[in-house]
Amino acid sequence: MDEIIARSNIYALLSRILLQELDVEILNTLMEDKTVLEFLPHWNEWELRTTLSNQKLLEEYLNPDFTNLSLLHLVPYETFYTRADQMIETGGANPVTDIYSAYDFIVDYAVARVVSSDHIGVELEFMHHLCQAQIKAIEESDHESVTELLAVQHRFLNTHLLKWAPMYLINMKYESRTPLYYDTAEMALEFILSDNEMLSAVVPKVS
Amino acid sequence: MYLESRRTFLKGAAMTVAGAAIAKGVFSTDAAAESVENSKFTNTPDSLSFYPPLDQWEGFQELDGNDWKRGGINRHGVQSEENPDGIMVNDYMLVPTACSNCEASCGLTAWIDKKTFTVKKYMGNPLHPASRGRNCAKGYAVQSQMYDPDRIPFPLKRAPGSKRGEGKWIRTTWDEAMTTIGKKMGDTLRNGDELSRKSVMYHVGRPNENGFVPQVWETMGLDSYNSHTNICSSNGRTPSIWTANDDRSSPDWANAKLIFLNSSHAADAGHYFQQSASFIADARKKGAKMVVMDPRMSNSAGMSDLWIAAWPGTEAAIYLYLANRILSENMTDKKFVKKWFNWETLMNDHKHLDFMLEKGQITKAPTGNSFDDYMALLKDMYAPYTLEYAVKETHVPAYKLEKLYEMFIWAGDAISTYIWRAAAAGNRGAWMGGRAAYFCIGLRGAIGTEGGTFFHHWHVISVSGKGGSSTLGQGAGGADVPKVKVWNELTWPPEWPLSTYEMSYLLPHLLTDTAWQKKWNDRGLKVPSKLSVYIPRMYNPVWINPDGFRWIEVLKDETKMELTMNLSPVWSETNWYMDYVLPVGLAGERHDQHSEATFPARWTSFRQPVLRVALEKSGWKAKNPNRATLEAHVKAGLGEVWEENEFFFDLCVNYIDPDGSLGIKKMWESKRHPGKPVTIPEWYDAAFGDNLPKLKETATNDERYSKEEFPVYAYLRDHGAWMEEDKIYNAMERELKFEDGEVISHGHKFDAGSMSVGTAGVIKAKDHHGKDTTIGIEIDGKKMEGFETLTRKLEFFTQWATDWKWREYAMPFYPRNDKEKVEMVHLVSHVNHMYMKEENSFALNTVFRLPYNIHTRSANSKHLMEISQNHDPIWIYTKDAQRLGFKRGDAMRVKIVDTVSGLDSGYFVAMAVPTEAVMPGTLACSHHGGRWKLTNHVTVPNGVTDGKVDPSTAPRDLNNKEFLKESPANIGKAGAQTKIDDYSGTTGINSFGVPVAEIQMDGKIGKLKYVEGIKGFKAERFAEYNRDSENIWWDGLSGSWQNAVAAPHPDPISGMHCWHHKVILEPAQPGDKIGDIFVNYDNNFKVYQAWRDQLSRGLDSNSTIRRPRHIKRPWVSLDSTAYDVTIKS
Repeated sequence: MDEIIARSNIYALLSRILLQELDVEILNTLMEDKTVLEFLPHWNEWELRTTLSNQKLLEEYLNPDFTNLSLLHLVPYETFYTRADQMIETGGANPVTDIYSAYDFIVDYAVARVVSSDHIGVELEFMHHLCQAQIKAIEESDHESVTELLAVQHRFLNTHLLKWAPMYLINMKYESRTPLYYDTAEMALEFILSDNEMLSAVVPKVS
Repeated sequence: MYLESRRTFLKGAAMTVAGAAIAKGVFSTDAAAESVENSKFTNTPDSLSFYPPLDQWEGFQELDGNDWKRGGINRHGVQSEENPDGIMVNDYMLVPTACSNCEASCGLTAWIDKKTFTVKKYMGNPLHPASRGRNCAKGYAVQSQMYDPDRIPFPLKRAPGSKRGEGKWIRTTWDEAMTTIGKKMGDTLRNGDELSRKSVMYHVGRPNENGFVPQVWETMGLDSYNSHTNICSSNGRTPSIWTANDDRSSPDWANAKLIFLNSSHAADAGHYFQQSASFIADARKKGAKMVVMDPRMSNSAGMSDLWIAAWPGTEAAIYLYLANRILSENMTDKKFVKKWFNWETLMNDHKHLDFMLEKGQITKAPTGNSFDDYMALLKDMYAPYTLEYAVKETHVPAYKLEKLYEMFIWAGDAISTYIWRAAAAGNRGAWMGGRAAYFCIGLRGAIGTEGGTFFHHWHVISVSGKGGSSTLGQGAGGADVPKVKVWNELTWPPEWPLSTYEMSYLLPHLLTDTAWQKKWNDRGLKVPSKLSVYIPRMYNPVWINPDGFRWIEVLKDETKMELTMNLSPVWSETNWYMDYVLPVGLAGERHDQHSEATFPARWTSFRQPVLRVALEKSGWKAKNPNRATLEAHVKAGLGEVWEENEFFFDLCVNYIDPDGSLGIKKMWESKRHPGKPVTIPEWYDAAFGDNLPKLKETATNDERYSKEEFPVYAYLRDHGAWMEEDKIYNAMERELKFEDGEVISHGHKFDAGSMSVGTAGVIKAKDHHGKDTTIGIEIDGKKMEGFETLTRKLEFFTQWATDWKWREYAMPFYPRNDKEKVEMVHLVSHVNHMYMKEENSFALNTVFRLPYNIHTRSANSKHLMEISQNHDPIWIYTKDAQRLGFKRGDAMRVKIVDTVSGLDSGYFVAMAVPTEAVMPGTLACSHHGGRWKLTNHVTVPNGVTDGKVDPSTAPRDLNNKEFLKESPANIGKAGAQTKIDDYSGTTGINSFGVPVAEIQMDGKIGKLKYVEGIKGFKAERFAEYNRDSENIWWDGLSGSWQNAVAAPHPDPISGMHCWHHKVILEPAQPGDKIGDIFVNYDNNFKVYQAWRDQLSRGLDSNSTIRRPRHIKRPWVSLDSTAYDVTIKS
């Protein structure tokens, strides 16, 4: 049970950091949660993290870096990497929407503030929801659903995130100008690869 | 290594804040998602077909396009009670119809929103065999025409006491108009004399139907049908008549190897544009080559494999150069030529052979009359058309002509061409270009083949006027309608006995030319000097014809035109001078059977008033079944807009001949309901069912229709199109059919017992009137239908032309030297380079079409006007512009000079656009520009009597039973005028596309100057559709009204108005503005007289008939006595 809770939490954490600029509430979590700080060692050791005010930290360091990494210089959308013409598919033809729709998920763009549903933050949050569903299935001893959800997670990772997110995350790591995003990129890359290895071991074959 | 790090990630379970609280929560699984799940809609459909299957047309749900822009169902889901913010779902009924904006009749479907009873969009009709679900910009514009805020909302009448052109109007009723017009027509006919039967005239722009209205006039016994054809395409039709006695060519673009366009038509504008362009694209995908011959680099030329810019009017020289090489290099398809050229006729006509020798057309007399002798004669005759000669006359570089020949030979017998406007409409004598084209195509055997060129009548369905079995008087197919016994000299003047169609553009000149009238009256004819009733139909003769000021003069003259009415849905220059303007419907608002020869098949479309059909299919019944379309349009909020079919049924039965004494009433009286006019379903069920056996069999055996009262009508009502026959090739080889003692040829029956085979295998038989008729040809023992000519072969020797004074042009020919160009001036364009003597003189090419405009009807389609704003400039070759000092955007005076009389016609001011895309020495400026109006608005109060009634009380909704129960009572009658939605009493005039001008005219000189461009405005009528009417960024100027400057140039043989001009370019003078015109229309009258008197070869005292009996006399069937004539010396 710990494993699935851990996976759910980490997908949520990475999704949140990569989806939008931080707000004070999430910044506090990133400042104070020891587990998080362990995941993000350079952030943990960064002197300015503890010396600057939250507002200054957000406005002058973190949010500019986020903007640079997700809006200006890098493109955190799947179709940018998977389409030959490097265009982001903002309409209904985006392949990721098929799988969201299949599980009755619909992206609320007003909340997400992204241009299409294949943003890395959205895809990671989808993994988080699959993990949450798995937690519920475990609680209800619904083993069939657990097995199916593991397969879905494995398939989604392989047909979407792993196809492109590593490229984005490697670039993000080298483009980042703050320890928070440097560590997040590294952690996210390491985590999805590791998670895939785990899932590959428990899911008989890619369905 | 990652599994190693995984152990670290397990720490994630110890986070103090749960993931669910950290995640942003971008997903929802609420009603929006469920609404998508529960609907049929998906973002990833299995196919991208635009159209639902036919069985869903009566109820088809589709997500709303505008609403979709908010982000689609993935963002908002599908609209429902639980999810009101979702994407709206339209509940459509699809009703098929056919476009009427050009002549092609592409299929349309009206997507009628049941909830509001409005047409939300027009799309194509996937069941239409030729347009295949596709349309051009003009097709989609039908919606903007339907909801045009300036469309005429009710019948208009010139205000009592005002003069024509004063612009004072009152609202009237259909009944009042029909009573006045019907009485005037009836009274005229009751005179019973010959002149009276020439004094009512109907004048159509683009008919877009196959025989209905001609049948109306035939039942009245009038020679009154007048068409615009001689300002359009008659020079293009003449070569088909002379060669195959057919109206026009019919290409098989899709299977051709060489697509040889003598124009920009077909591929980027003009005739059958969208269908042709699609077929051409199909062919090119398979490897076909395209050649475009045009002095202007059109869009087609730009994408062609070879662009040939020939001097206007010299195209025949190119074709004959090809013929010379085909013959001299022994590339002739001798089998085809021997079988289908009328070589025997020529080789046995010693008089003509002597003439050819005398005139130097051949260098030696043939030694015998065998086929080999014929081939030797052809080689001799066409040897002078060398490469050197062709280059000199046409100004086309030699390498291009050699390349053309290579491609021509490479294509074998798969050469498709369409001989139409372009060169032919522009130039005197250019009909010979088409004839020479057929000649070299025929030499290669490419006539009637798959991928080749064929003729029109095999590929068209004309049954619109043949619903007679539904009436009391007409008989099946109109068999009992008496033939017309008069000949109207106003449309068929004696100077042009071979004119292809009516000399329509000369109408005001002939009505004004009292000397001409006297001349022919003195010689025994009865020439009208006035018209009792003049009825243009959706036509704008003032603007489109040459010499527009002359038209205005005559239209204003109540002694020459006593009563006038235009059947027109929109304002036009002509309407301004009418007594009545009666609003009839546009493409989705009328019934027409309409077929065109656009590929080797016989198909027809069925144009329909879509809102009426939708109402009827929903259960509504008209109060007056003879005015159902009018009632339906009132219910739909379009206004008192009717259609011509019902109008003419009603007019003939109840207004022209109410007591039946003229014999007209019974012709249109319903057989099912005597005393009442025939209805639409009755008429079309008969018209289609009596004449299209395959359709009848299909419809009556289809369980969806077999129990309907009118199954054939119902089938076409639901499908909108039908193909009776496909893959029609080499139809001249069809064997004669024998049935019950009759022999059938080209669909006509003859007495088999009277059949005989004569010289050169020509088969004759007697028709039902006992008249000997050529019906076929026997070749190698096989009795075939052959072509429609007298010899049943392709007549490259047109023997009958020698009887009509044109012996020197009986064979394909073009003057070979300067001396012959003077002697054979009839074949030389009036803008030939030999006339360009001044350094600033040019040949102006005027006839190309603009793919987004539709002559009269497009002026107020915002959609089309918005994409067509270029002021129709003058294309001038870069170095010519440099030489004369003109830069891009400069205003120029374009002075028109006649090369026959030497007279000036005046000038128009236009903008220079120097370009490499036009031939040096020539200019290009389409004559489809220069629309004008005299005022922005006209006030016609909404309702003239106390009887202003609401058309309905229930909301417009096809699902609302109350709405379907209602219909306006006494529609069209006094006291029943309906309220017009959102109409304040003042209507705009072409507010989207036509600027205001001032005109001055004194009987000799006319001037026009634009004074005010158009501006954005707030539309009141159809406000929802026109919510962006304030966004007008263009001034509306569509060029200069050059047609008014143009003098009439009647081709001496075809009668075509030859549109091109010799012009002299001069810099604009102070005060000149682009769009200004100055016209000496007194001179223009003299130009018409000069062309008539110096070039034509009309009837004389030796004449016994008015026109060859065997060639087409379009529209109405004439009694043989109408042809007879005696001309006094």
